[in-house]
Amino acid sequence: MAEFESKLPVSGGKNHVFEACHHVVKALRASDNNLDANLRKLLSDLESHLSTFGMVDTKVEEDTGFSDMDERFKEAVKRILGWETNQSTILEAGPSEANHFFQALYEVQTFLMGFKAFPIKTNLKEKDVYNQATVALDIAMVRLEKELCDVLYQHKQHIKPEYLAVSSRGKDIVYDESFVSLDDEVVVEASSLEDDEQTLGFQAADMVDPLIIPHIKAIANAMFACDYGRAFREAFISVRREALDEYMITLELERLSCVEVLQMDWEDLNCAMRKWTKVLKIITQVYLPSEKRLCEQILGDFDPISTACFIEISKDLILSLLNFGEAVSLRSCQPEMLESFLSMYEVSAEILLDVDNLFSEETGSFLRMAFHELSKKLANRTTTTFLKFKNAIAANESSRAFPGGGIHHLTRYVMNYLKLLPKYTDALNSLLENLEVDDSIPEKTGQDILPSTFSPMARHLRSIVTTLESSLERKAQLYADESLKFIFLMNNFHYMVQKVKGSELRHFFGDEWIRKHIARYQHNVTDYERSTWSSILSLLKDNNDSVSTLRERCRLFCLAFDDVYKNQTRWSVPDPELRDDLHISTSVKVVQSYRGFIGRNAARIGDRHIRYTCEDIENLLLDLFECLPSPRSLRSSRRR
Amino acid sequence: MRPAQDNQGSFLGRISIRRNQFVDVNNEQEQEDLELFQKHIADRFTELLSPPPPPQPPSDEANTVASVAATEQIMSVTWLRKLMDVFLCCEAEFKAILLMGRDPTQISKPPFDRLVPEMLDRSIKALDICTAVVNGIDSVRHYQRLAEIAVRALEQRPLGDGNVRRAKRALANLVIALSLEDKENVSGGGGGGGGGNKTTERSWSFGRRSGGSSAASKGGATIGQLKSTSWAVGRNWSAAKQIHAMTANLTPPRGNEAAGLPQPMFIMSTVMVFVMWVLTAAVPCQERSGLANHLPVPPKHLNWAQSLIGIHEKIGDEWKKKEKKGSAGLMEEMTRMEKLGHSLMEFADGFHYPAEKDAAESAATQVAEMAEICRRMEEELVPLQQQIREVFHRIVRSRAEILEVLEQAGKLSAPVV
Repeated sequence: MAEFESKLPVSGGKNHVFEACHHVVKALRASDNNLDANLRKLLSDLESHLSTFGMVDTKVEEDTGFSDMDERFKEAVKRILGWETNQSTILEAGPSEANHFFQALYEVQTFLMGFKAFPIKTNLKEKDVYNQATVALDIAMVRLEKELCDVLYQHKQHIKPEYLAVSSRGKDIVYDESFVSLDDEVVVEASSLEDDEQTLGFQAADMVDPLIIPHIKAIANAMFACDYGRAFREAFISVRREALDEYMITLELERLSCVEVLQMDWEDLNCAMRKWTKVLKIITQVYLPSEKRLCEQILGDFDPISTACFIEISKDLILSLLNFGEAVSLRSCQPEMLESFLSMYEVSAEILLDVDNLFSEETGSFLRMAFHELSKKLANRTTTTFLKFKNAIAANESSRAFPGGGIHHLTRYVMNYLKLLPKYTDALNSLLENLEVDDSIPEKTGQDILPSTFSPMARHLRSIVTTLESSLERKAQLYADESLKFIFLMNNFHYMVQKVKGSELRHFFGDEWIRKHIARYQHNVTDYERSTWSSILSLLKDNNDSVSTLRERCRLFCLAFDDVYKNQTRWSVPDPELRDDLHISTSVKVVQSYRGFIGRNAARIGDRHIRYTCEDIENLLLDLFECLPSPRSLRSSRRR
Repeated sequence: MRPAQDNQGSFLGRISIRRNQFVDVNNEQEQEDLELFQKHIADRFTELLSPPPPPQPPSDEANTVASVAATEQIMSVTWLRKLMDVFLCCEAEFKAILLMGRDPTQISKPPFDRLVPEMLDRSIKALDICTAVVNGIDSVRHYQRLAEIAVRALEQRPLGDGNVRRAKRALANLVIALSLEDKENVSGGGGGGGGGNKTTERSWSFGRRSGGSSAASKGGATIGQLKSTSWAVGRNWSAAKQIHAMTANLTPPRGNEAAGLPQPMFIMSTVMVFVMWVLTAAVPCQERSGLANHLPVPPKHLNWAQSLIGIHEKIGDEWKKKEKKGSAGLMEEMTRMEKLGHSLMEFADGFHYPAEKDAAESAATQVAEMAEICRRMEEELVPLQQQIREVFHRIVRSRAEILEVLEQAGKLSAPVV
């Protein structure tokens, strides 16, 4: 009969067949009380065997039948008790031993069922056996509960660590400084690190060794069949929750109260927000789908219990993840939180589909809804932060002129921040879609054909930069020296263009914008040259002057040049190419004029009165915009 | 059935409409509103203190009548759910008084520049308590499941030793879990975990992986020493400390202030702290030692506070009693569950197969009562959790609305550039 030693319970179809056989046997016996002994024995055996497989009446009236049962029952109880104190798992003992155990359990259970079906007629001995059977069954159940926990524990598998790397966007924290900490000191540009985001495909992993699933399933089937389903559930949930807790330790996710989140400083909070983003994604896209699959593999036959178990296992963690999102939303929106909020919002929106699948049933609907609510809330916070970001730029005022006319850190901050945003294109487009904006390029014109250039995000980005431009214009008014004002604007506009051209931002800002802004800083160059040099170079114009006037002109030019040199060597044009261009165009104008002047008039002025050769001028001009630390005077060092 | 909820929503719109009309504050109207508010608070808590007699069911079974009456008792699940409703009503009414038709700049001026932030600070702490309590109710649901296992086993007929053995295991775990104090409830397993109330929830009929099956086979129970990382709120969070902190600057307004807006602010804060205190006392909650001492009772002469004080005294006495011998919570169903658990344990200990008729009958009555408690928990615990979540979200929303008004006030009072 070994081939029939199957797991519990016998499937419904089979059960009917056994039941039918059983009825046939009964009917046969009832039809004729004078059956011969052999036939009677045969029927009795058949009935006893049948009772082993089907949930049918096992009441056997013949003494021979009962003693037969008794023997087998005793064997079964012995086998169960043999495992009671055995510390190794049944799984380790091998499939045949496991089968024997389940078979023994089945015998005991079948006996109990039979007894319950006809309790009144039973005699004292049978009652005693019944009592023994209840104890044996309970011992078997406790043993299986332990088996379940041990096997699940010993064969659990963790999500591989490479998933941890997934979606750690853009390395860490390019901008952890606070927006308000921007004052008029020169800050070193934060190096924006290259995004090394991996694109690992998410797929469900095995939470336990797949080989043990049939064994666990057999335990589930047995315990549910014996009405110990609740015990199975509780134990299963407990072990799996513990595994999840352990996994949370490896992810280093800490639970934070609302009070803590509100009190955290920005840097810590930023880290926590990033971690949340990462963990939420792994949990909802890898861990929980795998966990759900495990529940279904083991308890699929008992749905909705499978769903209920899954929710019990995951609920606690899910609620704490939701809670962090809620807590962060309680904070006032600071502009520097924009990217963290964006990444939180993006993930919260991205996982909605996964969450819908995880908690598709009614029982989990409150979790599903909570995620949708949270995503909406984060969308709201992100949009508010976006507007705050813009407002903060508009409100950024300086009390004194930015030294050297270099690139203001507001420009650096904003442009580098904007460079982070194309990663969130979809999120931003959906958030900003219905938000009004003044855009410098209202309609499709010129060469711009990319749709991205006219997306809501692009319009808002341009609008932010327009705000930045206005702020820079105001800062430029603080310069007493008009030339320096032009240098400042040139530097900053050039920087903006470079940042746009050299990054994905170009697809958003578009060629038209870039062209206009190049023209803009080139205009600043012309403005500078006019404002610094036109009056000086006018000294070099000939009007058939007398020698003394020429000498005076030459002297005045040198004085003016010295003055420019003294000032403008301390000015800054950080971009080397831009500086070269500026040197060349200045040099062309100044040296040409000077060479002409000297060439025509050198003899009359006399060498003694000419301080600089053309080469001197050419070389000295190269020192301009080098941002030299202290004023350099030419009179002492360069005098011939 | 929460009429006051209608007041939410577009109050900002109303403010902007009424701002112009506001200039002349109608003091009389405000006084009337404040008095009405106090009266409502008093009425609602009076009803909670002495619930109206339940409609007598035309039942002939004394049992049913008794259990219907019990549902209305202070600290029963039903009562706690009513308390949540009361809180939501008070809150909605309060918000209407605080914000509707009011010049936004008013609540940013002294003494409100101090009172409002203090109130908002309290509400954040309340949020954490809500989280902890929702988690605590999960523990109660675990007790419920243990009780159900015992009920299921003891309902078997004929009742065999095996069934009793099974029931005893569940009962032992139940009784231990119900009488554990927070500190003991915190896992002893240590390692990476913080506080938390999970051990009871994670305790099974044997010490897992530690050869506990022999203990289980004797029908005894061991509490698994499992490490737990699932503290509900934060690593070092303490419910008692939160309650204490919420009361820190909660003093009745004096002098001029007593007649104006500070009064309802004080009342609402008192109600909030009180409700949070009740919740923490009712269900298992992270770290509650000295909870009874942490609620300063509002002055007795205040009319609105009478019933609230009455409830506070009742619960406070219970808590002090329980604190001595240890208790997971004062929820009425849990208390009865504990009693029944002990008594059924006694029955189980003295059980010999076959069951003696009298003992079996009296046990059957208790089993039925336990089953009834489980049924009520099954019906009401999850809705209670949902209500607490609703309270959470309401507090969040109100805080946001108040902040919005303050921001608006900031803009209004800022000098025009």
